[in-house]
Amino acid sequence: MTTAEKTTQAPTGPILRLTDLGVTFTTETGDVPAVRGVRLDIAPGETLALVGESGSGKSTVALAAMGLLPGNARATGSAAVGGRELIGTPEAELAGLRGRAASMVFQEPATALDPLTRIGAQIAEVIRNHRTLPAREAAREAVELLRRVGIPDPEQRATAFPFQLSGGQRQRVVIAMAIANSPSLLIADEPTTALDVTVQAEILDLLRSLAADAGTGVLLVTHNMGVVADFADRVAVMLEGEIVETGTVEEVLLRPRHAYTKRLLGAVPRLAVAEPGAAPAGAGETPPAGDEVVGLREVSVRFGRGPRAVQALSDVTLTVHAGETVGLVGESGSGKSTAARVALGLVQPSAGSVSLFGTDLRRSRGRARRALLAGVGVVLQDPVASLDARMSVAECVAEPLYVHRGRMTSAERRARVEDVLERVRLPRALANRAPRELSGGQRQRVSLARALVLEPRLLVADEPTSALDVSVQAAVLEVVSELQDEFGFACLFVSHDLAVVQHFAQRVVVMRAGRVEERGSTATTLLHPGTDYTRRLVAAVPVPDPVLQRRRRAARQEAPAAGRTAAGE
Amino acid sequence: MANLLYLIRRVLQAVVVILIVTVVVFCLLHALPGGPARGILGPQATAQQIAQFNHEQGLDKPLPVQYVYYLRTLLHGDLGTSYTLNEGVSQLIAQRLPKTLVLTVLSAVVGLALAVPLGMWQAVRRNKPTDYVITTLSFVAYSTPVYFLGLILVLVFTQLLPWFPSQAPQGDSLGQVFADSNALVLPVIAGATSMVAVFSRYMRAATLENLSEDYVRTARAGGSRQRAILWRHVFRNSLTPVVAMLGYYVPVLFGGSLVVEQLFNYPGMGLLFWSAAQSSDYPVLLGCVLVISVATVVGTLLADILQRIIDPRVKAGTS
Repeated sequence: MTTAEKTTQAPTGPILRLTDLGVTFTTETGDVPAVRGVRLDIAPGETLALVGESGSGKSTVALAAMGLLPGNARATGSAAVGGRELIGTPEAELAGLRGRAASMVFQEPATALDPLTRIGAQIAEVIRNHRTLPAREAAREAVELLRRVGIPDPEQRATAFPFQLSGGQRQRVVIAMAIANSPSLLIADEPTTALDVTVQAEILDLLRSLAADAGTGVLLVTHNMGVVADFADRVAVMLEGEIVETGTVEEVLLRPRHAYTKRLLGAVPRLAVAEPGAAPAGAGETPPAGDEVVGLREVSVRFGRGPRAVQALSDVTLTVHAGETVGLVGESGSGKSTAARVALGLVQPSAGSVSLFGTDLRRSRGRARRALLAGVGVVLQDPVASLDARMSVAECVAEPLYVHRGRMTSAERRARVEDVLERVRLPRALANRAPRELSGGQRQRVSLARALVLEPRLLVADEPTSALDVSVQAAVLEVVSELQDEFGFACLFVSHDLAVVQHFAQRVVVMRAGRVEERGSTATTLLHPGTDYTRRLVAAVPVPDPVLQRRRRAARQEAPAAGRTAAGE
Repeated sequence: MANLLYLIRRVLQAVVVILIVTVVVFCLLHALPGGPARGILGPQATAQQIAQFNHEQGLDKPLPVQYVYYLRTLLHGDLGTSYTLNEGVSQLIAQRLPKTLVLTVLSAVVGLALAVPLGMWQAVRRNKPTDYVITTLSFVAYSTPVYFLGLILVLVFTQLLPWFPSQAPQGDSLGQVFADSNALVLPVIAGATSMVAVFSRYMRAATLENLSEDYVRTARAGGSRQRAILWRHVFRNSLTPVVAMLGYYVPVLFGGSLVVEQLFNYPGMGLLFWSAAQSSDYPVLLGCVLVISVATVVGTLLADILQRIIDPRVKAGTS
């Protein structure tokens, strides 16, 4: 319905038409087909979301639609932007189309801009790529674009270097570059994945209004069903290089037909939200049952000294009891990872006390401290970086045994490793493989096995599933949950994903700028937040239900000034 | 203001490093067999003569006191007296240093001017025949001793193709040196070759890394052409690590001039150092060491300042 309203140069035809698109990568081990038989149209003013898990080929389709495929890729079929065929078109001609007919917003705003060039000049470069215009004129337009994408004080900011901007502002600059020549097609490849939820909400609002104003067609590539519900008119689901289902956003998200789509949507953790106006349940914080396992009391942490020092934590009090899971949430830079590191004994607090299993961690030294820390297991975010690439899976898992159980015989050790690998449901055959031969989910299970091999009383998990696909995330969390029931360890669960925390943790601690903003049982705190900050945080999470999300968005936009301060921009 | 503070802090750091170098040089001077007296008076001197010399020169005082004297004479620009040339070390170095600077600076400029575009070109043509050929030549150039390279240059360009003289300019003043610029060609080529080899490798690696950066893709998505991306973005981003290496390359350049000057009979500091080493003329040797140390410290300082100019993040202390 949004399609027919706006008139553009080519009012009848689609802006993007992919017909039987295939992409094959030539690698040392032979040809790898990445995309097969993809067929889709995007009409002017329409937003089509291309969803799928990692490796499904969705980003490859996006790059093909820009003519930006890497050198070892071979495209077949047809990809036409505004009627112009891209496949087989020489590079020089493609450059004339990029940034004018079609332009692109990328996932990682931290690296998408040239660090040594002022942002105004980078925008002006895109303008002058396509229009003959004096430099001064282009610079003035760049400032105007910065104003349009909501950068405050654009004249002055235009002379800033990318490192002087926050992540959200950098993404706004990338968007300014993308709309500089009023393209008829905008391709956004995971445009908000690297951003905090509150910033994500602002960026999505911006993209939506820009596209609506100019009648731009949008190809949105994402794995986040909440973002799809928030933004898309139509959805195409990709699996192993092929589109398995296409339909309107309501059809696909609410009444999926294909088994894979159903499975995918089933694995998405949904943030349970109170209907606007619903009354709080009234239950306060239920006192946790078990003994205290770890306790931070009025902990402050300062990094550096002098005027450049950063106060990472101020007066943070936090306890985790046996058998329970405490979710630690907050935006990036709120200090949640630092708090987890204090609990691990990796960061020394500058004030306050830390007790681990009833012993003061700051006072214990040497062997006693090591014995204490042997009771803590840790799983980190990046399963690739946190395993030694030169060790086999079995060696990775056995390493804590060498450190803390030196008397174990090698037979005992082997039996223990086999046992724990079985518990995290890793096939025994993988024990002698290198971590790089495993999938992301399998690697994260190796990390988990390694964390659990000493039968810890506390598991600290810092964003353990944020690098994983939703279906894999669900499986990993299920294993953690089962093992927790079996062994009764306490879990400190750091995550930016409120939906995951809501499902996984009994209690939640919300952090903001190094302080505890709010705490309580997960059910009450996330459903009926007591502070504005938490309320904004919850309101900014897009839920994968287009009807509900439309209402939530309207409610959020009614409280205008609220979003700004939370984003810290 | 921040720039000035930074400059002051860095100069102070440089002064500290140079002071440490003077301590080392001072200790080396006093570790000489028989001490400076034996060196100056020669092996025939009696113990009494040496004792008298030591007393006159203040060499019987405690070492820390002597070090203060040494520093004081250094501050007056006095580096001692050569054993063999019967001339002040400072005068000797003052005559020769400008000539060596001409040679090393010219070699560095020529070397960099070739290495930077060559490295970029290789990166763009990665794993194509040109890349392989240049890579091979780089390894050959880098692993060929400067002495051998110089001999080949002399053989080819003075004997087979008599284009250049085999001797470097012999004039005393810089004006005379430049007037005979034809004679500078071979020494500069000999000095620049290893620099081209090393820095084209750095530049190739840095360019390759930058070509795979996300910002290059962003620029392409905005419609920028390959040439514009290369010169407007990749060039400057690749230059920062190369500039950082420049300062550390100063002693290598001086080391190279040692051989080049000897080979082409160019009366600079390298030749001075060479002959002083042959005749165990320690004050001259240590004077040269001091000068080269100072040059290295100044070189790294200049490289750091240059890097601050290129990369605004260095200044802000974030990276």
